Amino acid sequence: MRTITITVNGLSREATVEDNELLLNVLRDKLGVTSVKAACWRGECGLCTVLLNGLPVKSCMTLAVEADGKEVVTAEGLYSDERARKLQESFVEHGAMQCGFCTPAFVVTSHYVLSRDPEIDGEDLKRELSGVICRCGTYYQIYDAVRDARKYYKDKNL
Amino acid sequence: MSFTTPYFTLPKFTYYKPDNVSEALSLLKQHNGKARVLAGGVMLVNMMKERMALPEAVIDIKGIGELKGIDITDKGVEIGSAVTASELQKSEIIKKRCQPLAKAASYMGDKILQNSVTIGGNISIGMPSTDGLPALMSMDASLEVRSADNVRTIPSSDLVVNIGRTVLRADEMITKIVVPHTEGVTGTYAKFLNASEVAISTAALSLSLTQKKLRIAVGAISAKPYYFDQSLLGWKWDGHLEENIKTSVEIIGSSVKPMSDAVAGSEYRREVSKILVARALKDLFGGA
Ligand SMILES: Cc1cc2nc3c(=O)[nH]c(=O)nc-3n(C[C@H](O)[C@H](O)[C@H](O)COP(=O)(O)OP(=O)(O)OC[C@H]3O[C@@H](n4cnc5c(N)ncnc54)[C@H](O)[C@@H]3O)c2cc1C
Repeated sequence: MRTITITVNGLSREATVEDNELLLNVLRDKLGVTSVKAACWRGECGLCTVLLNGLPVKSCMTLAVEADGKEVVTAEGLYSDERARKLQESFVEHGAMQCGFCTPAFVVTSHYVLSRDPEIDGEDLKRELSGVICRCGTYYQIYDAVRDARKYYKDKNL
Repeated sequence: MSFTTPYFTLPKFTYYKPDNVSEALSLLKQHNGKARVLAGGVMLVNMMKERMALPEAVIDIKGIGELKGIDITDKGVEIGSAVTASELQKSEIIKKRCQPLAKAASYMGDKILQNSVTIGGNISIGMPSTDGLPALMSMDASLEVRSADNVRTIPSSDLVVNIGRTVLRADEMITKIVVPHTEGVTGTYAKFLNASEVAISTAALSLSLTQKKLRIAVGAISAKPYYFDQSLLGWKWDGHLEENIKTSVEIIGSSVKPMSDAVAGSEYRREVSKILVARALKDLFGGA
């Protein structure tokens, strides 16, 4: 057992973990961050995606100890960003979900993608989102929602 | 993966995060075959979930600065083994001088995994479908392999012995990849997969009209990629492009012995390889 410190959504949090614990389990079970979903457990579905020091990674493929001293952002942490709030509204407006289980991962991933490149479009955008799977198959709506939200990321006043 | 596999948990191990390469190497030596290097972790974590890897020590190398560089030196382009697939695609040096690798990196799993996957980890797994190795072979890259007591350099074409098996000893790791300079080099990478998302065939091409060098590595069809150069292909630099492509593809088709597995049969792999190479050659010479 060792104690690690992770900045989760802006707050410094401590957790006592075993070396072999996954970041996914620690976030959900020890730190109560439940927007991070567990589904395939093998890096395929992407529902456990979080931003680790700003980059999207799959938390079922990451050890909790690897995140020691680093910063994790999940869907819960996006409320403070006006653009990300609008992005989430865009998901609602476009009906970009059925069961909603994949939505936090899509929101986190598309926030990262649009922050980096608000002009992204077409195949490039689809490829960037391809690491997350929606079993309900609402890909068209998700694509439209993200594409539509590009305007918020281009807006210098937001 | 079977449903009885306890893949929600990992076996017990001790995690180490060394600050530099020599510390990592002495940890490997100390644990005498029972330690594993953790780079992106994308493969190792899955293997541990499936109890296919049961290391007593896991040595995390991804934060080691010495393994993160992309530099131009007198030897060529030197790439640290812990550089990620995303970093390769963003690097101006790689995009300009190592095109097959820049493109191959864009196929190493999805865009999210590419932030984790490292070039060293990618080739060390020794799987036929690995995208990094054909790209490196098409550029005649060599690998710097180190242990606590030794440094050796091996050609990338000598790395894999059999499916999942490499020449790396348990106390060794790849520290660097060296791509020798080739003047006026261009290149490309092509991959063909079916719905299983496992490659049926891949082709990495590297071309220099200045130095009259054409090198092709065909991957995913056998334990290790096949390598061809202009002389093996009977390439005529003053010949007709269509004729050259036709001859090359015939030579490749008749020299490879593709494997048959659940993903594709041998003959199908052969045909797909020929088509991939023909298209890639057309692209490459069209843009050269
Ligand atoms: C769903 C999914 C799809 C994927 N699709 C593809 C694909 O299409 N093409 C593709 O190429 N890859 C694909 N991958 C990624 C592939 O698993 C990675 O290339 C692989 O994980 C290696 O990268 P890593 O850095 O994560 O290595 P790790 O998992 O950290 O390590 C892999 C192995 O190599 C050893 N190792 C790591 N670094 C070194 C080193 N420097 N020296 C010696 N040994 C080392 C480790 O001990 C371990 O045994 C996919 C992965 C997943 C999960």
